[in-house]
Amino acid sequence: MANKKEINSSILQMNASDTQTGEWDNLQPYAYWLGNINGVGRATAKKLLEVFASPMEVYSAGEKALSQVVNSTVAEAIIEAQKQEIRAPHEALLEKNIRFIPFYHPDYSKRLQDIPDAPYALYVKGELPADDKRSVAIVGARNCSAYGRYVAETFAKELARQDIQIVSGLAAGVDGLAQNAAIEAGGQTYGVLGCGVDICYPAYHKPLYEKVIESGGMISTYPPGRQPQPVLFPPRNRIISGLSDVVLVVEARKKSGTLITVDMALEQGREVYVVPGRITDRLSDGCNNLLRQGAGAALSPEQFMQELEETVWREEGEKTRTDKTSASQKNPNISNIKSSFNAKLQTSNLLPQEKALLALLDFYPISLDQIYMTAQTTPILCELTLSQMMEMLLMLSMQGFVNNEGGYYMLKKPV
Amino acid sequence: MFSVIFSGGIRGMEAYLVRVEVDLSRGLPGFELVGSVSGEVKEAKERVQIALKNAGVSLPVARITVNLSPANIKKEGTGYDLPIATGLIICMENIEAAQFAMTAFLGELTLNGEIKRVNGVLPAALALKKQGIERMVIPKENVGECRKVPGMEIVGLEHITELITYLKATEEERKLRVVQKEENVTAHGKADVDFSEVCGQETAKRAAEVAAAGFHHIMFAGPPGAGKTMIAERIPGLLPPLTQKEKLEVSSIYSIVGKLQNGQELVDRRPFIAPHHTISPQALAGGGRIPRPGLLSLAHRGILFLDEMPEFSSDVLEVLRQPMEAKKVQIARSQGIYTYPADFMLVCAMNPCPCGYYPDKNKCNCSETDIRRYLGRISGPILDRIDIVTEASPVTIQDFHQKHTGETTGTIRKRVMAARKLQKIRYQGTSYHFNGELSGREVEKFCPLGSKEQKFLEQVAENGQMSARAYHKVVKLARTIADLAGEEVIGTNHLAEAVCYNSGRKRFWN
Repeated sequence: MANKKEINSSILQMNASDTQTGEWDNLQPYAYWLGNINGVGRATAKKLLEVFASPMEVYSAGEKALSQVVNSTVAEAIIEAQKQEIRAPHEALLEKNIRFIPFYHPDYSKRLQDIPDAPYALYVKGELPADDKRSVAIVGARNCSAYGRYVAETFAKELARQDIQIVSGLAAGVDGLAQNAAIEAGGQTYGVLGCGVDICYPAYHKPLYEKVIESGGMISTYPPGRQPQPVLFPPRNRIISGLSDVVLVVEARKKSGTLITVDMALEQGREVYVVPGRITDRLSDGCNNLLRQGAGAALSPEQFMQELEETVWREEGEKTRTDKTSASQKNPNISNIKSSFNAKLQTSNLLPQEKALLALLDFYPISLDQIYMTAQTTPILCELTLSQMMEMLLMLSMQGFVNNEGGYYMLKKPV
Repeated sequence: MFSVIFSGGIRGMEAYLVRVEVDLSRGLPGFELVGSVSGEVKEAKERVQIALKNAGVSLPVARITVNLSPANIKKEGTGYDLPIATGLIICMENIEAAQFAMTAFLGELTLNGEIKRVNGVLPAALALKKQGIERMVIPKENVGECRKVPGMEIVGLEHITELITYLKATEEERKLRVVQKEENVTAHGKADVDFSEVCGQETAKRAAEVAAAGFHHIMFAGPPGAGKTMIAERIPGLLPPLTQKEKLEVSSIYSIVGKLQNGQELVDRRPFIAPHHTISPQALAGGGRIPRPGLLSLAHRGILFLDEMPEFSSDVLEVLRQPMEAKKVQIARSQGIYTYPADFMLVCAMNPCPCGYYPDKNKCNCSETDIRRYLGRISGPILDRIDIVTEASPVTIQDFHQKHTGETTGTIRKRVMAARKLQKIRYQGTSYHFNGELSGREVEKFCPLGSKEQKFLEQVAENGQMSARAYHKVVKLARTIADLAGEEVIGTNHLAEAVCYNSGRKRFWN
């Protein structure tokens, strides 16, 4: 009861500066308790905290006081929950290295605080994206094509090199590929899950899951142990867009979960950029549609960053300039980026036949048969036997020009 | 009166001599059949009595005892009708039984005295010849399969009256009933299919050629309608014709399961067995209370084609493992172990994903998990035994418009035969016949690599184009490819092609 008196103003009005960390820590078990009462959702919890000064107050409130804020069923649920042990569950959480960050906490993401219906709390393994660093979400088809794979990896790599945080959903396809590429480029990447942060979904992404936690962090609004369910994923897309300044879409079908992220992003006032695809390509239907509706076109990492520099990040840039006086520090010289995206492959060492063979390939998988058939109508290649072509393709694969995916061949990089 | 007549019994693939002893003695009239007989053999009593009556022979009022010796082996089947009837006639007509000491009788009787075909006559003939039997009296319908057994005279009968005439005749007259070996052979089997009918699919065709040359098990992955089945059906044509010895081997199995119908001669084509994916493990491997050969044995010396392989139940697929290694099926029963040969070439086909269109993303919407689960139905050990995993790519309209310039089965077979000849020389004096049979250490012994080639393979593996466990597979495949090219030494070009046939595998084990 002594504690209760010390907190004289509502926790919502407190600043990190005028409170000592110890006090936040004291409140944490109560905040965790409030976030995990059956029947008390994000809105109710926030409403309660507008009336009661802190979660601890809610914990010790009587039924009468509660009934003034919430309806009787919820009040009863809270009264029932007040009988629970308060510290042990939170300590168990800490033991698993999972942090619980309620929305009023200074560690809570500023970006998320701005979005409508910001979650009551985040469960974090590792870190949250830094508020003062740029952050881009890269999302797209799970079942992406080689083109999608290449684009996602290239963008993620280049952005990560410019110290931009990559936020995504750890899903198969574009999400996971982008995060992996960001880690390989030495950048920071953050995964937002549709299940508890202690669960790796999809399970075969376990190595990536570990690496993401090491490089950045794993974030979820669901308590640990919550199994992935289809209904949990659309709300998590809201967090992906919320944690970033821009959402970049790489490959999406006409009806794609990625488009939910886009809707959320627009609702939250985030920019949406899209990588265009061929109009004959069903995996790019969603992207091309977004372009038609006025989304920004991401044609290369340089152009993408340049445009963002002029729009989204300009204000922020100006702000920093006044803070730090040195503009050059903040503005990376984007034109100097040595991107591999537009640089052509060095094919000068190849034989004429090998060059001609490369010219037959594409970013889309082509079967050996199709290559062979086309080759027979190409003057320089028509003499090749099937075996010779297999040998040549193997050589090109080993030199990194070509990817062989089970008998289908495709370009690894633009030629 | 007492007589002894010989017949044959089948146990597994083995046949044994059976003495059919008939005794007529005074006493209370009756008919007793002893000698560890099963249900259907016991019924012979009724069939024989009535068939004889209807043929105008009435049984004497006497006590009839028939013993099938050796009496400790369970007798199965309906083939004992004819020898029992023979024994009775000999006793009743006072014929000298010693004349038939070198003759075996086998056949089923109907009530009106007709002699019907029985299963397993061919293996019986092969085995009885070794026991000193020189002539067999069998149903006419069974003559075809036995005619080619060297050193065995065959007499084919249709009715019990013919039997009586035969028994009463002199040896010279009897000799005239022996079937002439040179008699016309009627051709059986469907019209030939040819590789030139396959449009496009050059990779798959080439892979089939390599597989046939080295007896490598092969898998085709490709979308529906790509022609996987079409190619598989044509692989038997690439294999050399069955030798006389192989024909007898294969035909024996077919004889046991009763697949040599309508007087068919020996099986003269390589078998092509394509079970449906709902097949049970027993039907595939063989089984039953009295074991019978399964489809694995029917595919002996031929092709076992598993279409839609992931649809087979895992029990069925695991059954393949041991026979693929041992080249035979062993079935244990309390009476003993039955062994059936099963030396087949496995050809399987599958879709690359549940919908079948992967990696065409415009058509395929299978999630990665779906694909993993689908491909995962084929276990590692099975996949380990398959040397070639190749893609059959979708067929386009242009493929059909292209003129039929594809090679004919005959042209490809010439190359295959040449490659097989080289292997015959290489494996002379060993237990191996083909490159595909080698494993581990033998690969290193029979398929040595030069240092340059060795280094090349190491680079390929380091580059991630080939997994380490595929090493031996690649080397023996390269050996076959070199054999096809008629080259003594395995070159990097052969290795490169072999690596390509293993690239499909990467998808399964990632």
